[in-house]
Amino acid sequence: LTPVGGLSYSRSEVPRAAGELEPIPSITPIPGQEDVMADVRSEGRTALSRRWFLGGALGVTAVLPAVARRATAQAKPTITYWNGLTGADGKVMDGLIDQFTNETGIKIEQQRITWPELYAKLQVSVPAGEGPDLVLIHTVEIPHFASDGILDPMDASPLESKGFKGDDYLPATWQGGIFQGKRYAIPLDVPQHVMYFNVKVMKEAGLVGADGRPKVPASAAELVAMAKQIAKGDTFGFAIGTLNLGKYTWGFHHLLWQNGTNVYTADLKRSALGEAAAMEATELWGSFHAQHKVAPPANANARDAFIAGKLGMWLAGSWNVAGLREAKVEFTVAPMPRLLKQPVVWTIPHQYAFPKPKAADSAKRDAAWAHIRWMTDHVAEWTLKAGQVSASRKAHSDPRITGDPVLRTLLAQAPNWQVGQPTPQWVAAENLTRPVIETVYIGQRPARAAMEDLAKQINALPT
Amino acid sequence: MMDGRPAPRARRAGYLRHGTVTPYLFLAPGLLLFVAFRLYPLLDGLRLSFTNARLGRTQYAFVGLANYEKLLDDGRFQTSLVNTAFYTVASTLPILAVPLVLAVLLDRGVPFRTVLRSAFFFPFTLSVVTVGLTWLWLLDPVVGPFNYYLKAAGVPVRSWLADPATAMWAIILTTVWWVTGYYLVIYLAGLQDIPPELYEAAALDGASGWRRFWSITLPLLRPVLLFVLVTHVIGSFQIFGQVYILTDGGPGDATRTVVQHLYETAFRNFFHFGSASAMAWVLFAVILSFSLLQFRLLRGHTEY
Repeated sequence: LTPVGGLSYSRSEVPRAAGELEPIPSITPIPGQEDVMADVRSEGRTALSRRWFLGGALGVTAVLPAVARRATAQAKPTITYWNGLTGADGKVMDGLIDQFTNETGIKIEQQRITWPELYAKLQVSVPAGEGPDLVLIHTVEIPHFASDGILDPMDASPLESKGFKGDDYLPATWQGGIFQGKRYAIPLDVPQHVMYFNVKVMKEAGLVGADGRPKVPASAAELVAMAKQIAKGDTFGFAIGTLNLGKYTWGFHHLLWQNGTNVYTADLKRSALGEAAAMEATELWGSFHAQHKVAPPANANARDAFIAGKLGMWLAGSWNVAGLREAKVEFTVAPMPRLLKQPVVWTIPHQYAFPKPKAADSAKRDAAWAHIRWMTDHVAEWTLKAGQVSASRKAHSDPRITGDPVLRTLLAQAPNWQVGQPTPQWVAAENLTRPVIETVYIGQRPARAAMEDLAKQINALPT
Repeated sequence: MMDGRPAPRARRAGYLRHGTVTPYLFLAPGLLLFVAFRLYPLLDGLRLSFTNARLGRTQYAFVGLANYEKLLDDGRFQTSLVNTAFYTVASTLPILAVPLVLAVLLDRGVPFRTVLRSAFFFPFTLSVVTVGLTWLWLLDPVVGPFNYYLKAAGVPVRSWLADPATAMWAIILTTVWWVTGYYLVIYLAGLQDIPPELYEAAALDGASGWRRFWSITLPLLRPVLLFVLVTHVIGSFQIFGQVYILTDGGPGDATRTVVQHLYETAFRNFFHFGSASAMAWVLFAVILSFSLLQFRLLRGHTEY
């Protein structure tokens, strides 16, 4: 990278002339997107004038610095983008980014590492001025990164001019991007759980209807009764999550929120986990394995068990679909059942955010905005290929999406989506929660004692 | 050089100058690396332990002994100390005995001893991550072969790593399997150092095999045993890799060890380097005192 005039560009961009540009596909502008489109269209003119200047500069070395500055100002910037899409979805993202670069001329250098590593890296690199221009993060990470000054808040004006508005999104996902009245992120998609049924196991347990499809439990009692019918020998009735089932907070949050409570009280001042509603949810959490013996041990691999035909009902991420199809397991899916008071589906939407740069760079920021806009407009492709439905409503009526049984099931859950609470302590509280709910899962401690202790630990977290 | 003859004055000064600087010059690259990557981080860790430093935050303050005081109230740190002590004590006997028994058997000249020696050493060539992942799969409660064969043999099974009563023992089993080969080789070297005449004399006196082991092998292996013991105890206090991969400190906090707790404080929970450094120095003090104690208890010369 050659820094010139406070900007930097990659060397490969400089000699790019009009003739080498990819043809601009005809895209119908949608409301609020005109500015991006105008940007795309101006590319030809920009490149021509750059060629003219570069041509002239060949003979006149004395004016080279000025020319270089001018060329840089008009070149499309390259932006850096970190994400944790290390699975098959990463390849889908690569394809879409290639398409984006072809259409807009904006290059994106991706860095892809596992989510925990990404968050650790973000925490230390941004204060050093080494963060990326764009990052994809989970909703629950926003409050602490915002509070630590790792993320740049998004002003209302670019949001408006780029055509992002709350009405286009499911409320929980849109709200998830806000911390203390300021917006820090724009939601992309919503990773979710669905209920999987192993058809063979369900058939053997006599739990299929006249149409041969597995029955779907409608309450916690029904779920346990069905799971008991399935469980025998080394076959289990029901499990939540893939690995480390005992400390799977995502699964635990489903129950907590379904029972109308939360990790923190509504004013976010103390933990609500010591209260009766949380106890009830925790008791249900602890009943599957320790009491009813229908769920696998805390450290079992539920995915392997499901594939091996040793698990009947499995509440797990929709991202398992591709793997199950590949393993040729006969399965059906149903929306997450309502086990307690309300049919909440707890989710952790992916959101786009801007790490705080060392020095403001409007060209890069504009390019990052252009990418978020482009992905939002092409999110149907992302949903179809990566299997996660979008946070924005627009793609929800796409017939290709509504025609897919799994995606349709995921969409049906959209009104029930809930995300974490906007407190910087959320992730730290979750870290404390894991070992405690595991002791309940394995029956080592009763729900009450464990939750009272956990609430105390959470309340003692440094602010 | 040091033959006691008084050297001419000028030459001696030259020798001194030359003689003192040269070795340090040769040592310089190693010393430099040692200072940069060992000594400096060590002392900086001590400094950090008196601060509320968090990686990624540019400002921090000195808090005196606050981090150490907090450890007194930190129930999970105390649990991790107890767990580490349990691991150290419970794993010491198998780690001392299993390789010793195998070494004595191999030393006696069993068939295929070279092949067996390599076979026993092989696990130690694997990284802890490989060992951990392999055993995680072997011990899987649903699809793992360990439980499959136990069940086939009619032995009651359980989820070894998810049961607080057995999780630490499963970690010990994994560790013994992993390091036996290493200590075996050390024992074999020690055994080969014992003069065969001693065994011949004992045999002439009519000593039984057991008697020879007890009165000759074991006493003469004392320095080797001390080495194994000290190395193992120091390593045990620092146990992390196996725990991290096999149980991640669980179930609950049943296998949470000091380094696991330290790692989580430093790297998983928002880089609280101050608190984590304090833990590291407490651990250092514990290891140091145990090492001194062991040297004291097992001091003594080996006489032939």
